[in-house]
Amino acid sequence: MATIARPVPGTVTPRPNIASADVQLPGVRDYEQVDNEIIGTMTPTAGWFGALGLAIVCMLIGASSWVYQIYWGLGQAGYAPPVMWGVYIITFVFWVGIGHAGTLISAILYLFRAGFRTTIYRVSEAMTVFAVMTAGLFPIIHIGRPWKFFWLLPYPNWRLIWPNFKSPLVWDVFAISTYLTISTTFLYVGLIPDIAVLRDRETNPVRKRIFSILSLGWRNSDREWRHFARAYLFLAAFSTPLVLSVHSVVSFDFAMALTPGWHATIFPPYFVAGAIFSGFAMVWTIVIPIRRWFNLKHYVTLNQLDATAKVVLFTSLVVGSAYLIEFFIAWYSGVPAEIEYFYNRVFGQWWWSAWILLCCNMVMPMSLFSQKLRRNTTWLFILSLFINLGMWYERWVIVVPSLSHEFEPWQWTHYMPSWVDMGFLVGSFGWFFMWFLLFTKQLPVFALAEIKEIIPPKMRGGHHGEPDVSGGGHQGPVAAGGTH
Amino acid sequence: MSTDLGSAPSGSHGVKRRDFLKVVGATGAATTLVGCTSEKVGRLIPYVVQPDQTVPSVSNYFATVVREGSEAAGVLAEVREGRVIKVEGNPQHPGNRGAVNARQLAAVQGLYNPDRYRAPLKREGGKLVATTWADALGILSRQLGTARSQGAAGRAVFINQAELGSFPAFLDQWLAAFGMPAHVAYDADAQLATVAANRAAYNAAWPRLDFTAARLVVSFSGDFLDHYGNQVPQQLDWADARAKLEGAPRAIYVGPRRSLTGLNADEWIPVRPGTELAVAQLLRGQLPAAAAAEQTGVAQAVLERLAQEVTAAGNGLLAVAGCGMPNARELGDAVAALNQAAGAVGRTIRPDQAHPAPARVASFGEVRALVERMNAGQVPLVMVRHANPAFSSPAALGFADAFKKVPFKVSFSSVPDETSELCDLVLPDHHALESWGDAEAGPGQIALQQPAMDPVFDTRQTADALIALARADQTTAARFADRDYRAYLMARTPGGAATWTANLPKGVIAGSVQQGAAAAAPVARPAAAPAIPAQPANGEMFLVVYPHALIGGDGRGANKPWLQELPDPVSKVCWQSWVEIHPQTAKRMGVERGDELEVRTAQGSFKAPAFIYMGVRPDTVAIALGQGHPGYGRYAKGIGSNAYAVLGTAEDAAGGLVLTAGTARVSKTGNSMDLVSTEGSARQHGRGIGQAVLVGELGGLREATGAENAAVAPQGGSGDVQGTAREVTGPSATGGAAGGAAGGAAAKAAGDHGAAGGEHGAAAGGHGEAPAGGGHGGEGAVEIPGEPSKAFLPGLRSPVANDAQGNYGDPTSKDKGMYDPNHPSGAAKRRWAMTVDLARCTGCSACVTACYSENNLPTVGAPWQGRALAPGAWDTRPGANVVKGREMSWIRLERYYEGALNAENEFQPDFDTRFVPMMCQHCGNAPCEPVCPVYATYHSPDGLNVQVYNRCVGTRYCSNNCPYKVRYFNWFGYGEPDRRQYAWPEPMNWALNPDVTVRGKGVMEKCTFCVQRIREVEHVAKLQNRELNPDEFTTACAQACPSRAIQFGDAADPQWTVAQLANDRRAYHVFEQLNVFTAVVYLKKVSHPAPGSAPATA
Repeated sequence: MATIARPVPGTVTPRPNIASADVQLPGVRDYEQVDNEIIGTMTPTAGWFGALGLAIVCMLIGASSWVYQIYWGLGQAGYAPPVMWGVYIITFVFWVGIGHAGTLISAILYLFRAGFRTTIYRVSEAMTVFAVMTAGLFPIIHIGRPWKFFWLLPYPNWRLIWPNFKSPLVWDVFAISTYLTISTTFLYVGLIPDIAVLRDRETNPVRKRIFSILSLGWRNSDREWRHFARAYLFLAAFSTPLVLSVHSVVSFDFAMALTPGWHATIFPPYFVAGAIFSGFAMVWTIVIPIRRWFNLKHYVTLNQLDATAKVVLFTSLVVGSAYLIEFFIAWYSGVPAEIEYFYNRVFGQWWWSAWILLCCNMVMPMSLFSQKLRRNTTWLFILSLFINLGMWYERWVIVVPSLSHEFEPWQWTHYMPSWVDMGFLVGSFGWFFMWFLLFTKQLPVFALAEIKEIIPPKMRGGHHGEPDVSGGGHQGPVAAGGTH
Repeated sequence: MSTDLGSAPSGSHGVKRRDFLKVVGATGAATTLVGCTSEKVGRLIPYVVQPDQTVPSVSNYFATVVREGSEAAGVLAEVREGRVIKVEGNPQHPGNRGAVNARQLAAVQGLYNPDRYRAPLKREGGKLVATTWADALGILSRQLGTARSQGAAGRAVFINQAELGSFPAFLDQWLAAFGMPAHVAYDADAQLATVAANRAAYNAAWPRLDFTAARLVVSFSGDFLDHYGNQVPQQLDWADARAKLEGAPRAIYVGPRRSLTGLNADEWIPVRPGTELAVAQLLRGQLPAAAAAEQTGVAQAVLERLAQEVTAAGNGLLAVAGCGMPNARELGDAVAALNQAAGAVGRTIRPDQAHPAPARVASFGEVRALVERMNAGQVPLVMVRHANPAFSSPAALGFADAFKKVPFKVSFSSVPDETSELCDLVLPDHHALESWGDAEAGPGQIALQQPAMDPVFDTRQTADALIALARADQTTAARFADRDYRAYLMARTPGGAATWTANLPKGVIAGSVQQGAAAAAPVARPAAAPAIPAQPANGEMFLVVYPHALIGGDGRGANKPWLQELPDPVSKVCWQSWVEIHPQTAKRMGVERGDELEVRTAQGSFKAPAFIYMGVRPDTVAIALGQGHPGYGRYAKGIGSNAYAVLGTAEDAAGGLVLTAGTARVSKTGNSMDLVSTEGSARQHGRGIGQAVLVGELGGLREATGAENAAVAPQGGSGDVQGTAREVTGPSATGGAAGGAAGGAAAKAAGDHGAAGGEHGAAAGGHGEAPAGGGHGGEGAVEIPGEPSKAFLPGLRSPVANDAQGNYGDPTSKDKGMYDPNHPSGAAKRRWAMTVDLARCTGCSACVTACYSENNLPTVGAPWQGRALAPGAWDTRPGANVVKGREMSWIRLERYYEGALNAENEFQPDFDTRFVPMMCQHCGNAPCEPVCPVYATYHSPDGLNVQVYNRCVGTRYCSNNCPYKVRYFNWFGYGEPDRRQYAWPEPMNWALNPDVTVRGKGVMEKCTFCVQRIREVEHVAKLQNRELNPDEFTTACAQACPSRAIQFGDAADPQWTVAQLANDRRAYHVFEQLNVFTAVVYLKKVSHPAPGSAPATA
């Protein structure tokens, strides 16, 4: 759909560096191929069932952990006061961060006309929705009386008791719910032309009925396309500030507190960069296997991965500088508790977690300076796992060592998660992948319409498509969606 | 829709649509409500006939006596609806003087102990089974008859606890009636050598130690703050003396291990175990310094300086001898001679005000003889009451085995201890709080003991049971005219029943219990030379065994979860035993904290994790007696290790058991475990939590002058607020005139002390003299290094709580609601605050247990209260939750060391210890408040940082943002009876304070400044149409404190003590750089270095 990317007719010389330029899919010939190949991935396979089963088992581990924890109390987790936040908050921030890359790819890169986003945006946006869905569970899991979680919502009540709007946790509620709403809407709106394709191809009457409702009667008219393009642009513009604001708000959970190691103004930009960093890694974790298993290498090309690798490298450098600046600020502040905490971070009780973080997030991504490694999908996949690990540990390093080493030395302590904590961590991955796997078989994980935009259109009568009428400074849809 | 009220629809049939909808709506709403609520609905049932004296929800206080050890503490039992819920010190009692220690507070958990005997038991088929009193008394009566008829009565034995009061004499009378010999008064903790030496020298077992008159206190392992003599009165005197600041005595502790007393001393002279005598002899001039240095292992220069200090102190010397070493009797005599030579007797040593002591305690020799007789089969019948020699005697003595050989054994104990579990018949006694009795209170005074409630179980007071037996027997009936023990006591009291009854509410009566009962004759002393302490062979270490400060050496407190959960004041270990080992030795042996060590002597071995402690000599290990019960109830069983296993059976010249048992082989077992300790870092890392000042620098502390006060006078409105608040308060309320202008008036008045117009002026004026007459002439206002600015202290004095979240009030805001000082409720007129005087605090931790008692704090360390390690597999290590830092003590006693930073590599005895009680600081600008998403914590107009349990959802953000880490989370359902973590198994829940909620799982809790007490007195005052009187009430911790270190009150009213103390020159806030405006003001500890020496720490 609406992207500046225009197919270049004729032979194309593959250009290795395409980060800001058009994307070419030389292996894709025509629309039928797009429809057939991508919709072909939606047929369930044994491997898919196996993966879904595994995800559901993991999800059930998390669910049973929750039942267990609600019955007995939060004491079943590894909390060791004053480490009052642990794996749950770490995992919450982790998943919120994951979500950010999806919005960055689908919205910001759209506004910036970065063509390489086209094929991976649907995966990323779906990842965002499911990651936020996952993240949103954790604040509820983590509170002592989860059945009272709605007290954080500003619902009208007879006693006029409202939440405390000064509390960053209330900001979190708004940030997360807004983010979930917008990203779900954005995902759905982008899906409408593709659902129309599915509707047209579907033979099962029930599914066909569902798809027709979901496609909102899409008929592929020019008028529809024009409105669609405007709506999509509007939503992209609407989502863009959320990329910055949501994780800034999450970082306020820490930055607004006076705990040494938390009380830092650098947190919002640093968290946003980290979120994009981790989100791109998660995109790799998901896209690289899909690309290989479904044999879609000609859709997600090395050029595109190369471009994403550059984003990862850049955000890694941002995050790495933030890490180093934190040490400087701690020293420069002259606050003994702060200085001692940061010394302790790398040389004290929790040295190993800090070094995991620094290796995974700062040192290993340096390999992406090498173009060869940027184009090596195996390395990217391995690296993505390390980055995911490193970003989880980044939140660990922020949450655990800070709380275990605060102002009051008598209350310095040690923390180790319990099996219940780990059950929730496993469960969160199960929950996330369960939704994702279900998504892959119900709706196309690659945007049919958008891919069609960047391949040579089906010529009718030997001339190009209609001239652009949508305005807005970019060229509108040519001919996409539907089966012609 | 009841028809007889006539509300039935008239003239129509069936149900109207409207009614139907109403009913459906109402039932639907009700169902929803019931279905949604997570709290169970309780039922309140009113009295049909209200019992006499009982007003629901109003406490009655009964003056009585609790016996947790050989002392008898005069207490007030707080009774609510017929149940004792708390024990408080009896201010009328000359010993306790209103204070109470942790063990005495925990008497309530003895009363309601779920493992108490609930009925008489008899042995049938090898097991103890319940029976009736008639049956049980019949069995005993027959046994007594048999013994008498066989002529064996003279060989029967009655072992009673060593106790104060009339009961021992009564018991002997009863035994005599049955032809039985006088009872054996057993006390595993008895300090016979010291008592014998004191009696010989001063003619008093425990002369009062008047620290206030002393200039130098030298303790020779005499632990007068833990278990020497009578702890509470001694601590009161000690704290009063130390609060004299410049006039306070310097204290030196001579001994191998720094006990709590040692940690409170200014200097520690670490002599080898048992060589305290050499130091005493040196001081008496009987031993050359070189020889003393040789024996003690201390540098000659140190001893010589000590000798100089002792000489310089003159009659201001107060020397205290300890006990437990082989030459304890000689030490006692030498120390007494030292006091006598210095002229201290009558001045610092006050035999005329002696603390009461049991008239007679069996020597260890007597106990050994008894064991021999039992082994020889010469004892046909043993009766035992509240003594537990099967546990609290050296395993090498073999008491339990000998005891088993006695044909018939009767126990009158009320708890299933190791001894009574061996008995054939159990006639459980009442708890002290259910009993009648009396006890010596002080010279010429008797404390009266009355039941504070009906018996919890089917028990019977032993004295009554004995009277019943005697009256049933025709040969003895004539001797027991009194119907019961109460009548017996009344008859003996001077003035008779009328006087007795009249004085019962007060709890104290003039007179003497032991009329005509001669003090026990001093034990004949062997003429032998002082025993030379054993020398460790190669690879061995000295072993110091001492009674556990809380559990007691006899292990009596082990079945009370409050005492198990309360960290030992020195080691901060709870629910466990430990081995104290010096860091240097630990490093040499490769021992880490928590590594299990085996201490092996010729008698046996003791295994416990290592506690690496700077306060023990590098060639010495120290272990505590009292833990390691094989039985004694669910809270005691299997906790820690039994140190009686390693003790020998040697005795000192006074017949006391030698505890400092010589030498032991110490080795690592290879196991390692978590030390169940509440200690995080034992160092302050320069953060100024427990601050101290050298006595010489006190004069340099800045005075809080009137000008300074004025400069920081509170914002508008406060002046007249406080003026009106004080108008009706007290006779000296002259400040009411300051009603007019606000800040300006306050400032002006503050400058004018004489007029005492403004509260701040009055506060500042009163302050100079207030802290124990600390005369100081610091006009120069020398800034001492590290001295925090006092800029924030006025933040405390002002009623800052203008705004819910602690922001300084916006003067332009018109709507402050209750936070407006002129609000009709007057709520914002007060600023509740607390001061903690670290010069007084000894770290005894009584405040902690008082808080547990007052505020229904759950104990979390019992072996079954842990979490699941894996599905279905539970962490059953005792104290597993404490290892996780989940103890719930709203007030904790931090113990920080200063100095001796290189203790790992060399022996540095010159470290200082700071005890800091840390509770919610009730910040004026509290970090916890803005972060709570649901307003569960907010600021009350009177300066309290309030926690609303009902509103809390448990995000725990408040705790993360609390710099003091004083918020505690309910990780489990400690208050839910069907949970394994339930903290108050029936009937222990009877002791719950009905004024305080039992918090549910998943909510945060913290110190409330005993808000229930605040509101109670406010309501009472309102009902009486008056203002609160200054110091009218206080919090539970302050009330219990035997050091009077904690003061609570209204800092906005200068008539309250706390307002004056907050202005003290030693005052500081912890972490005041964080701008949180805490309501807790600490007063710096005062260190007394050796004259002419610069100590390592300041």
